[in-house]
Amino acid sequence: MTTLTGGLSRARRGISPGGHGGARRRTSTLKAQTRRTFLGMLVPSVVLLILINGYPLVYAAVQATHDGSLIDAGSFVGLDNFSTVLASGAFWRAARFTLIFTLVGVFGSWAVGLAFALLLRTRIPGRGIFKVLLLLPWVVPIVVSSTAWNWLVATADSPVPRIFEALGLGSPLFLADPKLAAVLVCVFKVWVSFPFMMMMSAGALAAVDDTLYEAASIDGASSWQQFTQITLPLIARPTYISWILMTVFCVNDFPTIYLLTTGGPVDATTSLVVYAYRSVFQDFQTGPGVAVAFLMTLTLVVVSVILYRQIRRAHVE
Amino acid sequence: MPWGAQAYSDASKKVTEAYVPEGKNLKAAWQGIQWNNFYQTFASAIASKTGPAVSTGGGFQAYQFAEQGAIAMADDVVATMKTNGMFDDLLPGVLEGFKTKDGYVALPWQTDMRVYWYRKSLLEKAGVAVPTDWPSLLEAGKALKKIGVIGFCTGSGAGNFLGNHWAVSMLINNGGGVWTPEGDIDVVNDRNQEAVEFMLEMVSAGAIDPGAVGFTTDNMDAQWKNSKTGYGMFGAYLPQRVGDTSGDIVAAPPLTGPNGDKTALQFVNNIMMYKNTPDQASSEAFVIYYLQQLKGYWQQALVGGLPVFKSITELPEFTKDPNAVQIVKDYSPIAKTFAARGTASTANTAVLDGGQALNKFAQSILTGKTDAKTILNDFATGLKAAVK
Repeated sequence: MTTLTGGLSRARRGISPGGHGGARRRTSTLKAQTRRTFLGMLVPSVVLLILINGYPLVYAAVQATHDGSLIDAGSFVGLDNFSTVLASGAFWRAARFTLIFTLVGVFGSWAVGLAFALLLRTRIPGRGIFKVLLLLPWVVPIVVSSTAWNWLVATADSPVPRIFEALGLGSPLFLADPKLAAVLVCVFKVWVSFPFMMMMSAGALAAVDDTLYEAASIDGASSWQQFTQITLPLIARPTYISWILMTVFCVNDFPTIYLLTTGGPVDATTSLVVYAYRSVFQDFQTGPGVAVAFLMTLTLVVVSVILYRQIRRAHVE
Repeated sequence: MPWGAQAYSDASKKVTEAYVPEGKNLKAAWQGIQWNNFYQTFASAIASKTGPAVSTGGGFQAYQFAEQGAIAMADDVVATMKTNGMFDDLLPGVLEGFKTKDGYVALPWQTDMRVYWYRKSLLEKAGVAVPTDWPSLLEAGKALKKIGVIGFCTGSGAGNFLGNHWAVSMLINNGGGVWTPEGDIDVVNDRNQEAVEFMLEMVSAGAIDPGAVGFTTDNMDAQWKNSKTGYGMFGAYLPQRVGDTSGDIVAAPPLTGPNGDKTALQFVNNIMMYKNTPDQASSEAFVIYYLQQLKGYWQQALVGGLPVFKSITELPEFTKDPNAVQIVKDYSPIAKTFAARGTASTANTAVLDGGQALNKFAQSILTGKTDAKTILNDFATGLKAAVK
């Protein structure tokens, strides 16, 4: 055991067991060759990545700093597009809605997804069928589900307003009232996204050792204590990862909003990505629209870094 | 572009491929472009020099690409049309809008008219006459609401621009509009305010459904089909669209505004030529050929718009539809475009057409929670920020 550990330790330091100089040189030559081979293998991928990701990014940077169109880049205007966007009330309204949409989307779908994952952990009959059914919102194309949701809520004669009416709650017009439309879009996002969170949570829960719960039960821990003191800490790392992913999904989510409300009524559900799209392709304001996209990317990077640090902390703990 | 069902695209392809060029002119190939993201499709194709030589497209696409130097002017085609009788065959008002300071940016091939429709049985049940002016429109709306149906069918939900179109048509119907005759923005004025106040009155009186702001065209189709509305604005051929050709859905006359203005709103769909062509003469020869084949689309009932040539409106296949005949008779002579009070559109008209400012304007009216002055000021601010 000791010999093996010592050998590994030496190997990590690049020291051969004999410790002779010739062997060290051979190892060094071998390492250089290996490095060259690795580099040679990496180059095509790196070049491809630069072409696929780098070129559009550079071109977008050009557009964000010019006053042109999709056909012609136009004249260089520096950071004018950014200052125009940041001075716009519409941008900040879109940013506010994006924040709400993301917070509800991430934590709402996580809470629902985790609840179902915990439920499916129990031995209920027909568990497999439930799993498949619960995945449907994620699997069904968004264009289909948005049409279905529109049918459910669009007019006073639609099923959901009728149910509300039957319950004596009036006849809410979910797509006509700005506040209700914002709520509807957020709920729709949770509905579309919870299966993803359910799968992530189910995967994390599967790694938790059942004996911990047995031991906790013997020690008299309640179900809530077991959940907060065992389950949550042990699934913290995958949870943070799922939050990062869902944050990116929510901030960049175009179809969920656009297909259901197009950002309306009266901009009530216009998120930053919808705002950017409409700026570029409806108002033909390419520079400001791309500037919005850049600001979104910057924000996402910052949020991701913060959450990544949480992951590392969870890992250390 | 898919201007109708698949049968239209098939016919369009057949017409294109049947073209036999004369002399040194080149043959033509056909390609269908979907409406989804069509502007991006054309823009990227033009930027990469792989765009078409000739195309149909969005109502104001030609102006946008002309501003960016990509459109070949159609003055020579117009000159040819003057010699072969096609020019004299055009219905009034369909060509003038394409004449810019640089020439004709495109040529008309069909018009997309915004038409008032009513359901005869419901108006009779409500005991009101077919509206002919604004007061009778309001009266009919209230009466229809009383019998439990929508008084004025419109919508501004996802992908539905009919609410936008109605809002602008009402401005124009009152002698107002979005632009000065010179093409500058002129939104906040007395005529427009009067029009917006009237539309808000329609909303507050319940003549317009409180949910209209969220209605899609599918919702509106269902309302017409299921006799849930008695009156409203739609495109031509509404009965065919919703599958009720019993004669109960009838084209209503255009409305007279409170100051005596009588107008209608139309979009003139067009064919444009691009500078990036292997041979401009071939492009022009093909456009003439294509325009000469248009009647087949109406003979086979393949398109949802109205013809731009008088000769097509005289075809038996066209005259058998009394609604279509009435629309051409009543609406075409008084129809204006989004460019009103000017005549020629510009790239800015495209910004108005699909832009955020107009959508917000229409939705603010249909929501009915803001006063006319504020709505117009917001519209002007939004539009000024977007146009060049």
